[in-house]
Amino acid sequence: MGKEIELKTAPADYRFPTTNQTRHCFTRYIEFHRCVAAKGDEGNDCERFAKYYRSLCPSEWVERWNEQRENGTFPGPL
Amino acid sequence: MIESQRHSYHLVDPSPWPISGSLGALATTVGGVMYMHSFQGGATLLSLGLLFILYTMFVWWRDVLRESTLEGHHTKVVQLGLRYGFILFIVSEVMFFFAFFWAFFHSSLAPTVEIGGIWPPKGIGVLDPWEIPFLNTLILLSSGAAVTWAHHAILAGKEKRAVYALAATVLLALVFTGFQGMEYYQAPFTISDSIYGSTFFLATGFHGFHVIIGTLFLIICGIRQYLGHLTKEHHVGFEAAAWYWHFVDVVWLFLFVSIYWWGGI
Repeated sequence: MGKEIELKTAPADYRFPTTNQTRHCFTRYIEFHRCVAAKGDEGNDCERFAKYYRSLCPSEWVERWNEQRENGTFPGPL
Repeated sequence: MIESQRHSYHLVDPSPWPISGSLGALATTVGGVMYMHSFQGGATLLSLGLLFILYTMFVWWRDVLRESTLEGHHTKVVQLGLRYGFILFIVSEVMFFFAFFWAFFHSSLAPTVEIGGIWPPKGIGVLDPWEIPFLNTLILLSSGAAVTWAHHAILAGKEKRAVYALAATVLLALVFTGFQGMEYYQAPFTISDSIYGSTFFLATGFHGFHVIIGTLFLIICGIRQYLGHLTKEHHVGFEAAAWYWHFVDVVWLFLFVSIYWWGGI
């Protein structure tokens, strides 16, 4: 018997109390990139934001937003 | 007029204008759909329909004018009915604009992630509310004051002064429209630039359209005042135009505060 796998999603956030978590996902995505911009991607400071948005956001959205950031057309406040 | 009439209600004569207006509206609708879907003859039918409506409006109002000013059918009770009718019309106009404000606040109070969750959306260079829009607020408020001046002149029987006051009102209205046109021309965004452009031009554009209608209404009042159609006791047409003008004025104040000012921060 190996170690049990721990399954976890993003914790409940009082800013996003509704069933629809679209905005929660989007905000975590932005928070991750703001964190990286501020602290760099060496340390593990920003890792938790990445976990949150990855568990909340559909991967197609993340792909699209990554593309938009590369093209400089991402509409969010980074 | 029937000599045995024992009441003061206006029983209108049969008129061809309701059906001609309806046919014009039908041609406009069908022609408009055809035109927008690039059918052959669409533009022709659309123009024909609009021409028909314009013609109907002219002759129908000409008849109303004859019935009221020349034949004296607009008794006190008829005037009351006209006032009620016009107030209900303005109420329906309020609802019309309410819908556009609803669309604006729906889109701006909780901006979707597609526009980055921010308002105004990134890349929209908003217009400074304290330049042309604020000047236009002052111009429109002044024209509201001028129309009140005209009203007092009519009530006091000062006929010439009423014409001058109406001319001043119309002049201010034209300056407002000119500034709006200029600002539209120079605006850094268009109606197809995101939900911001859509809500902005839908709301302000329909307001501008109503300003133009109100201006035409006031011009007609000015001409009728000049011709001596309006008296101290009887000037329902003028009152309706003044109410309409104040309505357009109030809509602008809401547009200025919510769309130009709050919506641009």
